[in-house]
Amino acid sequence: MQGGSSGIGYGLKYQARCISDVKADTDHTSFITGTLSLREENEVHLIRLSSGGTELICEGLFSHPNEIWDLASCPFDQRIFSTVFSTGESYGAAIWQIPELYGQLNSPQLERIASLDAHVGKINCVLWWPSGRHDKLISIDDENLFLWALDCSKKAAQVQSKQSSGMLHYLSGGAWDPHDINAVATTCESSVQFWDLRTMKKTNAIEHAHIHNANYDMKKNHILVTAEDESGIHIWDTRKPKSPIQELPGHTHWTWAVTCNPEYDGLILSAGTDSTVNLWMAPTSVEDEAITESIAESPAQQADPLLNSYSDYEDSVYGLAWSSREPWIFASLSYDGRVVVESIKPFLSRK
Amino acid sequence: MGAEDNVPLDDKAKRMRDLLSSFYAPDPSTNNAPSNPGTLDAINTSSFDADQYMNLLIQKSNLDELLQRHVEMAAEIKNIDTDLQMLVYENYSKFISATDAIKRMKSDIVGMEANMEQLLDKIMSVQSKSDGVNTSLFEKRENIEKLHRTRNLLRKVQFIYDLPTRLGKCIESEAYVDAVKFYTGALPIFKAYGDSSFQDCKQASEEAISIIVKKLQGKLFSDSESIQARTEAAVLLKQLDFPVDSLQVKLLEKLEQSLGDLQLKTDDIENASMESNDPKLGKVPDSVHITAHEGSIRGFAEAISAYRVIFPDSEGHLIKLAQDLVVKHFETVEQCVKGRFSCANLLVVLRTIWTDVLLMDEVLSEAVLPGFSLEAAQNALKQHVASTFNYLLHDISDALLRLNVSSKEAAEENPLQVALEASKKALLQGSMDVLLDFRQLLDDDLGLLVQLRDFVSDWVQEGFQDFFRALYDRFFLLSGRKSSSSQDQGLTAGAHGEKVLAGLVLVLSQLSVFIEQTAIPRITEEIAASFPGGGARVYENGPAFVPGVMCRIFRSAGERLLHHYINMRTQKVSTLLRKRFTTPNWVKHKEPREVHMFVDLFLQELKETTSEVKQILPQGLERKHRRSDSNGSTASSRSNQLRDDKTNRSNTHKARSQLLETHLAKLFKQKVEIFTKVERTQESVVTTAVKLCLKSLQEFVRLQTFNRSGFQQIQLDIQFLRTPLKETVEDEAAVDFLLDEVIVAASERCLDPIPLEPPILDRLIQAKLAKWKEKNPITP
Repeated sequence: MQGGSSGIGYGLKYQARCISDVKADTDHTSFITGTLSLREENEVHLIRLSSGGTELICEGLFSHPNEIWDLASCPFDQRIFSTVFSTGESYGAAIWQIPELYGQLNSPQLERIASLDAHVGKINCVLWWPSGRHDKLISIDDENLFLWALDCSKKAAQVQSKQSSGMLHYLSGGAWDPHDINAVATTCESSVQFWDLRTMKKTNAIEHAHIHNANYDMKKNHILVTAEDESGIHIWDTRKPKSPIQELPGHTHWTWAVTCNPEYDGLILSAGTDSTVNLWMAPTSVEDEAITESIAESPAQQADPLLNSYSDYEDSVYGLAWSSREPWIFASLSYDGRVVVESIKPFLSRK
Repeated sequence: MGAEDNVPLDDKAKRMRDLLSSFYAPDPSTNNAPSNPGTLDAINTSSFDADQYMNLLIQKSNLDELLQRHVEMAAEIKNIDTDLQMLVYENYSKFISATDAIKRMKSDIVGMEANMEQLLDKIMSVQSKSDGVNTSLFEKRENIEKLHRTRNLLRKVQFIYDLPTRLGKCIESEAYVDAVKFYTGALPIFKAYGDSSFQDCKQASEEAISIIVKKLQGKLFSDSESIQARTEAAVLLKQLDFPVDSLQVKLLEKLEQSLGDLQLKTDDIENASMESNDPKLGKVPDSVHITAHEGSIRGFAEAISAYRVIFPDSEGHLIKLAQDLVVKHFETVEQCVKGRFSCANLLVVLRTIWTDVLLMDEVLSEAVLPGFSLEAAQNALKQHVASTFNYLLHDISDALLRLNVSSKEAAEENPLQVALEASKKALLQGSMDVLLDFRQLLDDDLGLLVQLRDFVSDWVQEGFQDFFRALYDRFFLLSGRKSSSSQDQGLTAGAHGEKVLAGLVLVLSQLSVFIEQTAIPRITEEIAASFPGGGARVYENGPAFVPGVMCRIFRSAGERLLHHYINMRTQKVSTLLRKRFTTPNWVKHKEPREVHMFVDLFLQELKETTSEVKQILPQGLERKHRRSDSNGSTASSRSNQLRDDKTNRSNTHKARSQLLETHLAKLFKQKVEIFTKVERTQESVVTTAVKLCLKSLQEFVRLQTFNRSGFQQIQLDIQFLRTPLKETVEDEAAVDFLLDEVIVAASERCLDPIPLEPPILDRLIQAKLAKWKEKNPITP
């Protein structure tokens, strides 16, 4: 199954959708991922890239009661993560702590710190503030946005505020602005909405259909990248919601996920249901003129924004995560449960 | 011997001269060169030491030599003595003669003084006599002068009293020149005494002069007078201090007014163009109009030359007038050019203007009218080229947009094909017409155009380049895929406002290919044939029209638009599927009773796509071939086998092992390329669309959780889809694979994956088919 790929593979037992970088682990490059199996016992894998960078080692294997639809590692405590899970009929979300039993791989139990159990409908995701320690959490279900106050020591989470997205706006996901602790973007069928967490009011919206996924640029303020069904990837300046500042072709089928590199400016990774992961280089001069010019110029003169397309996957790729410790490394997860860690170093030199 | 004699003789003379000079010299020591007293030659120096000399001589010489020396020296001394004597004598005789001369002079001077005194006395007496004469004549002379002045004055007075009559005479004989001369001569006197003594006289002459002025004015303004006469009149008027400037202004105003009549009227041109469109009627009035125009221009030119002579300083004004005329001409031309205006008409107009310009240039070459109008013509032509291409662009987009209208009416059978053909024709025919049109410009031998010939062909090429670029932009605008945000927002918004027809996008895509493959080569050929050489300046930046680049642009445009078309089509299905999968609660699904209606909608959409595609795209050549090929291939049969396997296995609830098996199967099966390159054939496009839809279907299924009935429903729907899809699609294996994948995905996401029993499945499908046939009896 390895093919001619340069990546390092790791197989999960079952299908899986989500993978997350363990940001708080500053000593190792590690990722955490969870399986999605309706009828089997699901697992959470803590994977570590060996020091030589040639191997993926399973650092911890924990059983998880239900199939995992979303998983996010706590950015300030490497042992804490959140999951959204489903029993098939109902959804739940919880914060977990990995027990301190490193080395023993006999499926120790995860410790549930808190359940985010105020939801009724389908829960989409749980968000941590990406930039550091913050005692708030956001969870998004189909219709509501919840702000939780999390107290790890007391092992409790309380709803701080809640806001309904409004009629006919079925939320599908969201992103927390790394530059502004009070700004959150949520995606729904027809738009991206921006919320101020202090007032829980909608501040702005980008009217654009079929957005699957959104991701803030970690380096540049106000830059949001979105992935769509049809036209691939759009880069927005949130101050100018009328039209995107840049457009990338995306994937042959749906573009499922996009993430901006935490370190290198303009590097964007996207995963698609056409079983590929694409590495993009958005030109640094993301001005409007650049786009108009690009039309006038013949296509040959434009630099191809696509740096590389990793196509060695057997199924749709849903999970995608940059390593924040080694920002030239990313992990991807295809539906068939294969984690592939790749290095983009060969493409960095081109910049 | 003679030589021997000579040398001592010379020595002797020299020494004598030296001695003489030393004698007269004020400081003898300086004269003598300091020589070494130790030698025998030092005998002539002042530092001569006789003892030392003797010693030296005795030491050095033997007796003979000493004796010889003695003889020599004695002779020498004798010589010197004689020389000295002679010198003294000479000097003495000179002194004596000088004393004699002085004595003689002294005696001569005595007695001269008395003579001089006598002369002085005589001169004094002459002077006193002349003074006497002068005083006695002074009085008489003064008297004569006074009388003379009075006489002059009287003559002048007489002249002034005579002036009116004289002026009258002049008027009678039309000798205005003399009259003016007289009057101007008298004018200072009138100025000084006009109010007192010569009042009557002044009035009378002023009256006469005013008559003259009137007559002169009349002369000046009358066109019948000769230019010479008019010039004279102008000059005279100027001499009379008449405000000529105002006259000039008046005249020029008159000229300007006449200029208004000269202007080419837009109406006229339009009439002309209308008439020339109708060749039978057109010729006569056209030419009549033109000759009339030419006549008036000729008049204008004559007037100009006249005025130039009359008012030399009016040149600037005249130049301005002439330039204004040209500018107005070209303004009219530009006005016309903005509308649809054929080159033939443009030619007629330009020719008229050029003759005008040449006529004016003859009389007013300083205005540089040809150059001026060349520039203006350049602009006009440029504009003409631009507007021509603009109209071409409009024509094409009109042809395309007609699709929107006609499809609403649904009157035509194959609207897409019609639109494509229409726009193809509009494009090619339009371009050819444009070229032909411009060809006329090139062929004409009009002076104006000959100079611009190179530019014209440049502009035409540039025009094509810009035209294709604009067309490219327009295509994307029309396709609703506004790729740029900052372009004209209004247009973009407009295009977005009304829903863009997917068919239009397909037509655009096909048209792009047509442009790339047919239109651009044709046009390039045509340009090469009829616009030889191109311009001079072109080659700095490469030729203006680069067919290669344009071809590339349109090739990529064609591809992008084709993808866009497929995207638009699948987008619709995707929305359909999204509704289908997000609306019901799949966990509480009821048992399947019939094939869900989304299948109908899906097939309907597919049919629409197929019909659109069939109108425009070519059939794949290898269709038949490939089909039979894939039918017989093992891959296809294997996939069938696989499906059966899978259905059997899923009966046994082993989803886990099933997953493994699918993986294994995938391993052994040749990887089915789902997303292959789209070819520009009916089948390829439809297949791609179907594949994308099925992939979406699979993804939607993966996002849901099903109960048994939900799974069975999906199974039923997919099973029903199988046959019609295979009929429409080129790549059966891939579609089969995708359909299987959907079922696998559903079973994976099912809590209780028990498939429908085949008999029930069959029955339900048959029922649906019957219904289907009932509804659309024609379709198989």
